[in-house]
Amino acid sequence: MTNMDTLWLAPALVCYALSAVIFIAGRLTRTSRASGWAIYLLGAGVIFHALDLTARGFQAGNIPVGNFAQALSFFAWLTALASLLLIVRLQMAVIGAYSVGVVAATLGASAIMMKGGRIVLPASLQSVWLPIHVTLAILGFSMFVLASSVSLVYLAYESQLKAKRPLGPASERPPSLEKLDRINYSLLGWGFALLSLAIITGAIWADATWGHFWSWEPVESWSLTIWILYAALLEARLTVGWRGRRAAALTIVVFLVLVGSFVGVSLIDPGKHGGWFG
Amino acid sequence: MEQTLFILGVNHRTAAVAVRERLAYADREIAPALGRLKSHATAISEAAILSTCNRVEVVGVGADPVRALEEAAEFVAADRKVPLEAFADTLYRLEGRDAARHLFRVGASLDSMVVGEPQILGQVKLAYANAAEAGTVGLVLHRSFHKAFSVAKRVRKATLIGHGSVSISSAAVALAGQIFDSLKDKTVMLMGAGKMAELTARQLRSLGIESLIITSRTFDNAVGLARGLGGTAVPFDSYKPYLKFVDIVIGSVAVTRPVIAPDEFEGIIKERRYKPIFLIDLGVPRNFDERMNSLENVYLYDIDDLSQVVHKSRAEREHEAERAEEIVELEVEAFWRWMNGLDLVPTIKDIRYSIDRLRDLELGRHRSWLSTLEPAERTRVELLTRGLTNKLLHRILQGLRTSGVNTPDGAYAAEVARKLLCGEISATGANLEALGTDHDDEDDF
Repeated sequence: MTNMDTLWLAPALVCYALSAVIFIAGRLTRTSRASGWAIYLLGAGVIFHALDLTARGFQAGNIPVGNFAQALSFFAWLTALASLLLIVRLQMAVIGAYSVGVVAATLGASAIMMKGGRIVLPASLQSVWLPIHVTLAILGFSMFVLASSVSLVYLAYESQLKAKRPLGPASERPPSLEKLDRINYSLLGWGFALLSLAIITGAIWADATWGHFWSWEPVESWSLTIWILYAALLEARLTVGWRGRRAAALTIVVFLVLVGSFVGVSLIDPGKHGGWFG
Repeated sequence: MEQTLFILGVNHRTAAVAVRERLAYADREIAPALGRLKSHATAISEAAILSTCNRVEVVGVGADPVRALEEAAEFVAADRKVPLEAFADTLYRLEGRDAARHLFRVGASLDSMVVGEPQILGQVKLAYANAAEAGTVGLVLHRSFHKAFSVAKRVRKATLIGHGSVSISSAAVALAGQIFDSLKDKTVMLMGAGKMAELTARQLRSLGIESLIITSRTFDNAVGLARGLGGTAVPFDSYKPYLKFVDIVIGSVAVTRPVIAPDEFEGIIKERRYKPIFLIDLGVPRNFDERMNSLENVYLYDIDDLSQVVHKSRAEREHEAERAEEIVELEVEAFWRWMNGLDLVPTIKDIRYSIDRLRDLELGRHRSWLSTLEPAERTRVELLTRGLTNKLLHRILQGLRTSGVNTPDGAYAAEVARKLLCGEISATGANLEALGTDHDDEDDF
């Protein structure tokens, strides 16, 4: 375990965990009184975490995605940053219970898996395409995490309204269903665009390195599958008008497929993307 | 003579509406009634009558509260031609501090049927105005009512007692805000011309709804309402195509069965491409089939659902009321000290200010002459006038302090002095600037 590694990671993890606990408690007790603190903690976590990633990036000579643990950490950071923006800019503190929960859990898992020592990427992966391809892919994942968080909130609120139980006092009025649905839609759109670009840049990079765009390795196949699922989801919304509850539920289902496939693939047969396991 | 506040009355808790309606006064009857009260009752020196749907109260002042209360009860019985035995056991009789507390609680809407409803304060202000008009307001009532107004204001600011939807229409409007983000770009359809439906539409209008479609069995009614609310009237046999694009439908048509079948509506929902729609069913019998609530992105609330929402908010208000009671208690305490003259400070301050101002005015009038004087002479004049006002002030304050500081008489003396020296508007001369009714709450009780 090198010193640089742990200097910033622990405080980042503590901040995320506390922030998540406050958000979750607020969600359970249906109040938003303490959410200001949760937002500050999230911001502090993002800063500590950024310092940690920078330190690791200098060690790796590239963005720090040398193994699965590092990739998870990078994903946690992008998700935390995106959550923070969404929460502050669009007054969506209510999603914090989910998205910041995911951030804390992911970084926790990453910290447990994180092996000490210097991680250097193999020469074949040292390329300008690495940061582009990986950042696009991981940022796309983050968007899907946020979309799913918004969808969970939507489903909870919607069933409350259908069951004729309105959403608490006006002073703490949560976002309206219309707003949640709209945000879900735009997050899906962004996620889909990022995923598309990640696939394209990955193909270009593969062609440059190995001489072929596509090799039907597991991560590639699953990415394509998920791309098709998201495309269908967006298409159904635009043409048939699948929105609201149905769109929210499907957002969560597709996200579960995404998580299941990537975790499964990483454990069983990572292929070229197995660089993650260092 | 020790003047004490008293209140005699019935309210929604002590008396059934059958009793209350026999005792109630119409607004215009109150001033003449107070005139009769003044000429008949010898033990009552000041009086006001507060009469609403939920209460009839005589708020008065007398040196002998027991006798004053007796006279008030006899007066109400005679004036309303209801035998006293018929309502004697529904009457409450309060005096002194209890009466003040009651008046403050009523004004702060803590004694209302719907706790926190905003109308009562306006009604209390009206009672005061009527009494002022009849010339039956004296010092004690003047102070008591004005304090009640300020306590009400404070309670409303410091607690959530006025929050939540406590009426059907405001509950419906609040729900619309939970379904839709902005109401500006939404379209409302009003089906039927029921009073509550109209009220709901009005409230939605005030929140920014611009597009309003009105349909009614009687087309003329729809046209009339469209003119009043600013919308488009549509004949009742051709409203259905509009369901494709409206966002909120308020139903209050008199029907024997739902206006639209669930499967027909399902077709419309598909045509709308599942755009959310909020159905507010204010009709009895209901206008919409309750099964429609289970359709995708359809939110149907009937009158019972809305009542439930209202009940919940009311319960929350009751909770806030506990905090409000604490505020009232503190205010009663402070008020009582003030009433009994223990607190001369405000009066002394006013008198000092007033006398200083008189001096400044006089000096100002002679400014040009003063400027011709030598500096030493000018100082002399200043000292002379200052000495004069200080002596005067000292004498008045001395007199007030020795005239029995903690007796109501002392308070009277202070008030008289204040009136004479500060030229304050006389208590009976209706200090009505505070009488505008509050409309900061859109509830319709």
